[in-house]
Amino acid sequence: MSTLETPAPPPQPPVASTVRPLAKKRARPSEQLFKWLVVGLTAITMAMLIWLLTSVLIRGAGSVSWAFLTDKPSSNPAKAGFNSALRGSIVLMMVTIFFAWPIGVAAALYLEKFAAQSATLTERRLRERLATGRVTGPGAAWTRIRLWWLRIRPRVVHLVDVNISNLAAVPSIIYGLLGLAIFVGVMGISKSLLAGGLTLAVLILPIIIIAAREALRAVPMSIEQGAMALGATRWQAVRSQVFPAALPGILTGTILAMSRAIGETAPLIVVGGVVYSTAVPSLNPLEAGNEALLAMPLQIYFWTDQPQASFQAIAAAGIIVLLATLLVMNLVAIILRNRYSKRW
Amino acid sequence: MTTNVDPEKTAKDSPIEIHLAAGAADRGASQQASGAQPGATSSEPSLGPPIFRLQDMGVWYGKHHAVRGVTMDVPRNAITALIGPSGCGKSTALRCLNRMNDLIPGARVEGRVLFGDEDLLSSDVDPVDLRGRIGMVFQKPNPFPKSIKDNLEFGMKVNGIKPTAERVEQALVDAALWDEVKDRLKAEAFSLSGGQQQRLCIARAIAVEPEVILMDEPCSALDPIATLAIEDLMKNLAERYTLVVVTHNMQQAARISDQVAFMTVEGTAEGDRTGVLAEVGTARQIFSAPKDPRTEAYITGRVG
Repeated sequence: MSTLETPAPPPQPPVASTVRPLAKKRARPSEQLFKWLVVGLTAITMAMLIWLLTSVLIRGAGSVSWAFLTDKPSSNPAKAGFNSALRGSIVLMMVTIFFAWPIGVAAALYLEKFAAQSATLTERRLRERLATGRVTGPGAAWTRIRLWWLRIRPRVVHLVDVNISNLAAVPSIIYGLLGLAIFVGVMGISKSLLAGGLTLAVLILPIIIIAAREALRAVPMSIEQGAMALGATRWQAVRSQVFPAALPGILTGTILAMSRAIGETAPLIVVGGVVYSTAVPSLNPLEAGNEALLAMPLQIYFWTDQPQASFQAIAAAGIIVLLATLLVMNLVAIILRNRYSKRW
Repeated sequence: MTTNVDPEKTAKDSPIEIHLAAGAADRGASQQASGAQPGATSSEPSLGPPIFRLQDMGVWYGKHHAVRGVTMDVPRNAITALIGPSGCGKSTALRCLNRMNDLIPGARVEGRVLFGDEDLLSSDVDPVDLRGRIGMVFQKPNPFPKSIKDNLEFGMKVNGIKPTAERVEQALVDAALWDEVKDRLKAEAFSLSGGQQQRLCIARAIAVEPEVILMDEPCSALDPIATLAIEDLMKNLAERYTLVVVTHNMQQAARISDQVAFMTVEGTAEGDRTGVLAEVGTARQIFSAPKDPRTEAYITGRVG
């Protein structure tokens, strides 16, 4: 462009003149305001929780002792213990889990793994069977029923889906009324730990189903397809690969559902009422039908209802025991989740 | 399918450099020598007798015609590669061969796929039993979240094969994984590298003693070194098994396959887009003298 004799190029201008100066740090009031708003609201929540816990601890800590855990209820607050309530809650949980877990997990397996599967080929096969005219009478009627079911199944499953989500949000006292009407009224079970446990089982069933479905859905489809591509049936694939992979998640959900059930008071009051009993329930769940309905939240409710101040203290002690139980259960759930959860 | 192409001439205007597997050519030649295909007249290595005959096979997903009119033979004990641009239905077509499309709600397969003399799409064929005979390896390695040993034994158990230590070892040896894992068969399959996991999935498929192994882009999630290991493995497996491999890597298809089927997408009158089989031929013919202009456009890199 220019001759070789051109002198050295003019000195470069200083960098600063070509780049806009950097902005100095400035205050952003709206940003600050929002931050302090969030911090403040969190602090209020924490303060209420801490206040609640400390007031319970101050009032009840003095009454928590080994004797408190092993003594029977008594009309004398100095001698009254939490043993019956503790035993009652343990049996309640055994009954609840015995009924809720298998039913809930089976429902989740069906909804997640079987109801949504392709029916195209089954439908074709059934239609062909009808078309050949080989099946007659009851056989043909049964084939038509199966075809009809396959046609309406997606809608039924959707309906069940919506209802399970709604059931999880139904107030627990409604379940109490349901338990009273069905287990005590229709089935004639006495107002016992069995009736209470069955009621709690119905209460946590939707929670278990939802948790188990989520755990099953978290297992990638590629695992199931991999198993089926090896010549496994869907049931073999689900039983041997998908279900074991989902089990930690299912158990975590189950424990969280149980910690919901163990603190429930309203449905138990509706089913069994708050009774004063000096009976000590057997820990054998087979006896649950003959044992008075006693549980930790019921005992706490009963004590707080008493006029004497010393009963308030042992009620606080009962709350501490209940909270400690809940804490342990949630801890187990967290450990299970962290230890066995898989990253796919 | 048999073409008379002068290799000297085609090598000159060959659109891409070809690295045909020597093994592939040898296998073809030996089959020709044994008189498997008497009609073959050229110096072209010919392909063995078919194990699959696809006749006007197509797939519908609801109202979407995903694949239409696929008619081709898949030769026994050879590697057939399905190539083509994304969305042309290669994987969909592959999944017909072991009835995996049955598992997709709304999917419907039409036409016929003869396996031996029988139509495997027929509604009285048991898809569970069929999948034990026609194995599959997926795009992303999908070992079961269990030990290496458990991964191999599961397939044997569901197929009624006694899961002995010898069988486990043999499958791992065949999948070129034995030396790397023989001391830790009880280790979690997830502790293996991606390439090892994919070889474990191949071992798992071999362990049930299938006749055919379908592979759906088996190397697309792997690095070049692991890819090479899998490709070597495929070439070895082709001596005993029939392999059908979906790949979007043309170099890979050229390296490993005996037969290549090129699929592409066609617009329909209804505005739908349907996968069709444009051309099928030996690897040498497809890569050196494609007959269909769409094949040529694809392999020269002008489209796709």
